[in-house]
Amino acid sequence: MTWQHVVDDIRTWARVNSPWVVHFNTGSCNGCDIEILAILTPRYDAERFGVKLEGSPRHADVLICTGPVTRQARDRLLRVYEQMPEPKFVIAVGSCAISGGVFQGCYNVIGHIDEVIPVDVYIPGCPPRPEAILDGVVKLLGHLKNPVLEETIQEAG
Amino acid sequence: MNAIQDLLTLMFFPGGLFVLALGMSYEWIDRKLMARVQNRVGPRWFQPYADIAKLLVKEEVIPADSNRLLFIALPILALAGALTAALYVPLAGFDPLYSFKGDLIVTLYLLSLLTVCTGLAGANTTDRFSLVGATRTLTQLFSYEAPFLLAMLGPAVAARSWQINEIIADADGQWLLIVQPVGFVVALIGLLGKLEIAPFNAPEAETEIVAGALTEYSGRGLALFRLGRHVELVVGLTMVAAFYMGGVSGLPLFVLKTLLLLLILVGIQSLVARLRIDQTVGLWWRWGTLLVLAQWLALVIWEGVQA
Repeated sequence: MTWQHVVDDIRTWARVNSPWVVHFNTGSCNGCDIEILAILTPRYDAERFGVKLEGSPRHADVLICTGPVTRQARDRLLRVYEQMPEPKFVIAVGSCAISGGVFQGCYNVIGHIDEVIPVDVYIPGCPPRPEAILDGVVKLLGHLKNPVLEETIQEAG
Repeated sequence: MNAIQDLLTLMFFPGGLFVLALGMSYEWIDRKLMARVQNRVGPRWFQPYADIAKLLVKEEVIPADSNRLLFIALPILALAGALTAALYVPLAGFDPLYSFKGDLIVTLYLLSLLTVCTGLAGANTTDRFSLVGATRTLTQLFSYEAPFLLAMLGPAVAARSWQINEIIADADGQWLLIVQPVGFVVALIGLLGKLEIAPFNAPEAETEIVAGALTEYSGRGLALFRLGRHVELVVGLTMVAAFYMGGVSGLPLFVLKTLLLLLILVGIQSLVARLRIDQTVGLWWRWGTLLVLAQWLALVIWEGVQA
């Protein structure tokens, strides 16, 4: 095992065990936002996995987005995404974030999140249960730990 | 040979890395106790280590309109101040590494360096949240620093010395918090102000001003500031325990006394809500300073009567 391997292992271990999240509402009805806040409450306690809700995008590793992207929110979403330091990941929570949901085709809505920024994990539901959101976060961490997964998915698809 | 030994002492044990590890362990205990009070499971034991390691390998964004040199130097200076302060206190029950006449004052000012650096770091960027955070950080510094200093000088006056070693030796295992209860309370609550934890967390109020003075910091700078905070937590606890709870000779006694203090801090932290910055200033200058000054006067008069 080379020196570089050891450093890489420590780096991956640290990233997997300390995902700090910043939460941004791009035009959601607040249903998903309440469920996201629920994962920080004593019943679900995401701090078990090292998840910490940060206020500043500069401190965060994971951007949790809810809702369809409205024309107003597009620039702000882009700016928040650009402000985050590398490496950064995006989780889209809820049906609207994935497809636009019931707001699809509205005059003031651009569409789903990945029309604006790249998304790593999609969590469906209207709203998704807190367990589902935690599962999505853990899946993202698993993907960080084991990047081979991505290749297999691409091959399968 | 002697130089190498000095270097090892400073870098690994009991300075340097050992202090950092101790600081991060105490940070974990703090977060875990906090979580248990809130009926949560809480973070795993390596959480602060993972946080710091992750921040260190993350990209550091330097805002275009800030002074580059200051932006990079301030976190280093803050951590260096906290680590240097650790050399003069009986950390983990060992005797202080270095000691000279008046090292109490030097240690207290080294501990303030972190707060000053945080304030300057906030003022260095043009981000509005950083600026508000920096103003609040420095305002808070001016409110708790005087009472905290006076509270720390109480045992020094009783011992007629400004050397940490001699003050602890003079108390001779007696719990000074029985004869100087006001000083103990003010020192403990001053520690809350120093570390910017509730109810004195207005400078980094995440619900109002994002992350206060450190809003623009990412990666390495943020990691160093956090490390400085962790070190300051353990140094502050050591000082209060050593001065007011009859010294910290030996590791078991050190752990027991500092954990007891930490438990009290966590209790206060989880019971009270955040004070507005003007309420913080009012509390310290109307109550803290006056009470501790009254006790200080009583001490001086008592010393005069005795002499």
